[in-house]
Amino acid sequence: MAGFIVRRLLTAFLVVVLTSIFVFVLFFKGLGDAPANQACERALKDRCTSEAREVFAERMDLRKPLTENYKNFVVGIFKGREISLGASPQKYACPAPCLGISIGNGNALVTDELKDKYPATLTLAVGGAAIYLVLGVVLGSVAARRRGSALDRGMMASTLVISSIPFYLVALLSWIYLTQQAQVFPQTGYFPITDNPAKTAAGLLLPWLVIGLTNATQYARFSRGQMVDVLSEDYIRTASAKGLRSNRVVFKHGLRAAIVPVITIFGLDFATLLAGTVFTERIFGIDGIGNWSIQALRNPLDFSVISAAVLVSATLVVLANLIVDILYSFLDPRVTVS
Amino acid sequence: MEPPPGEKKVAGKSPTRIAFDRLRKDKVAVVCTIVVILLVIAAAFAPLINKMLNIYGEASSLPYSPTDVLYFGGPNNGLPNVGPPVNGFTADHPLGLSPGQGLDNLARLLLGLRTSLLIATLATVISTIVGVVIGLVAGFSRGWLDRLLMFTTDLFLSFPFILGAMAMAPILRARFNDEDIDGLGRAQLIALIVILVFFGWMGLARLIRGQVLSLREREFIQAAQVIGVPTRQILFKELLPNMVAPIIVSISLSLPAFVTAEAGLSYLGIGLTGQPSLGQTIFDAQNYFEVYPLYLWAPVVTITILVLALNLLGDAIRDAFDPKTRR
Repeated sequence: MAGFIVRRLLTAFLVVVLTSIFVFVLFFKGLGDAPANQACERALKDRCTSEAREVFAERMDLRKPLTENYKNFVVGIFKGREISLGASPQKYACPAPCLGISIGNGNALVTDELKDKYPATLTLAVGGAAIYLVLGVVLGSVAARRRGSALDRGMMASTLVISSIPFYLVALLSWIYLTQQAQVFPQTGYFPITDNPAKTAAGLLLPWLVIGLTNATQYARFSRGQMVDVLSEDYIRTASAKGLRSNRVVFKHGLRAAIVPVITIFGLDFATLLAGTVFTERIFGIDGIGNWSIQALRNPLDFSVISAAVLVSATLVVLANLIVDILYSFLDPRVTVS
Repeated sequence: MEPPPGEKKVAGKSPTRIAFDRLRKDKVAVVCTIVVILLVIAAAFAPLINKMLNIYGEASSLPYSPTDVLYFGGPNNGLPNVGPPVNGFTADHPLGLSPGQGLDNLARLLLGLRTSLLIATLATVISTIVGVVIGLVAGFSRGWLDRLLMFTTDLFLSFPFILGAMAMAPILRARFNDEDIDGLGRAQLIALIVILVFFGWMGLARLIRGQVLSLREREFIQAAQVIGVPTRQILFKELLPNMVAPIIVSISLSLPAFVTAEAGLSYLGIGLTGQPSLGQTIFDAQNYFEVYPLYLWAPVVTITILVLALNLLGDAIRDAFDPKTRR
């Protein structure tokens, strides 16, 4: 068991390192001189000659070999470093953990911005995920219990249709018609939970519901499938034959076995939500990671923001994978790791 | 060959044949197939239909100046002065003109459908080939190559798709960048397909690898190996024909996924901007929901019908190939 966890941790670490190399190469090789040219045009407007571009590229370390730049980047994460934006020889201090400087936002530190934006994404993800997990599992169990009935067939047909419609259309139309036109829901947005939790809940109510309801369909289908398998097992028949109440059989004995694979999928989905609910944040105007990265794509292109968002999100997904794998061996006694 | 009358044909059917027989009896599948075929025809002949109806969906080919067909000033600023929403329906422009640009909405819709289906089809074909090849090679080669390929697959799976696309879009565009609009449009198209393929091959690769792992222990593969059939021939002539079912199912489910992804990325402004696209139209139209609902609803309904039909069809195909389901 300990060996498995150690091996799994090592793999996860390797994946994070490789992802960081990938992101780094993508941004620093893929872009070439584009960041220097962009900085030059921003600083000097029309007077940006090819010599000036060269000076900017030199100052921004674009002429150094890739390995040295990557080393600087890694050192920056653990110890901090100094970054030049090209416009002047002046260097900006970037304390650890340094993920770069956001030029789009008054040269703020990316790490600070990340801390600033993360609560919104986290609150959004936790609320939405809680709704779809509970709703999906309950609906799935109910459908499995009344298998073949009109309720079951109706529920499964409607989940198929709902999950076939693009999520962002549901989000966009519900925002337009429920918030803007009918004003059934209060204006959406993120208000810090520490200030006024009621206001936070009001602003995120519709986004939570949209994430919850659209994703619940997939969980309902999946947990129904699991539950149907489990309910045909011998030990369930034994439990019923013993005279246990039907509710107790289904929810205590059945659900316990059926929920393990559901939790596995949930772990990965939740990580994807945490990695940035780009559409939800963009449509409902929530100031989280997703919206932040989209804004970084507008002029001026803010590459340190996007690379940081990609790196942090990929790390979160890897962590979630790790946790799910380890939890799985605890939750399901049949799983043996060697 | 048709059996002579009065004699019952006793012949084995291939799994693909059985699946298609089951599909033909499935009402949902039949309806969805008809819808998809109609949409594909509309998309394929979009330029021809637009020419016949004398409507224009691209600013570069517009024969009239946008200022001729738009209101300026007043409460209707930017809205078209022919057709909806201010004036009633006109046969010249069945879905009206777009505010601010004076383009025909129907023409734009058809061209958008065309790009959408083109990108989704190309992305599906390429990612299927990549997935099948990687899956076959990984499953057939024991040891380090298999481990390396599966590790790469897991690495790609841990990469958040939308953020990855957001990171790659400006880079690819900077690489292909041309000054002219035509070049930019093509660059965006290629960039978008590259991104979709980049994040779209992993599921099939894993599936195929799993299939190969179980098939390679079967007698016919071992026999082929013993008599010295070259590996490439074993992979593509012996193994591949046994995996038609999972490949068809995967294709039918990735098409709608790619259509959805393309429109979504274009909606976010990181997909297509230089040419008609449904996602881009939805983005343009979202602020007109009150004054000009038709403008918003036309692309929304089109894309919903397309994705819904493709998804339901894909689901029916999956069920048809699954011997355990009874429909």
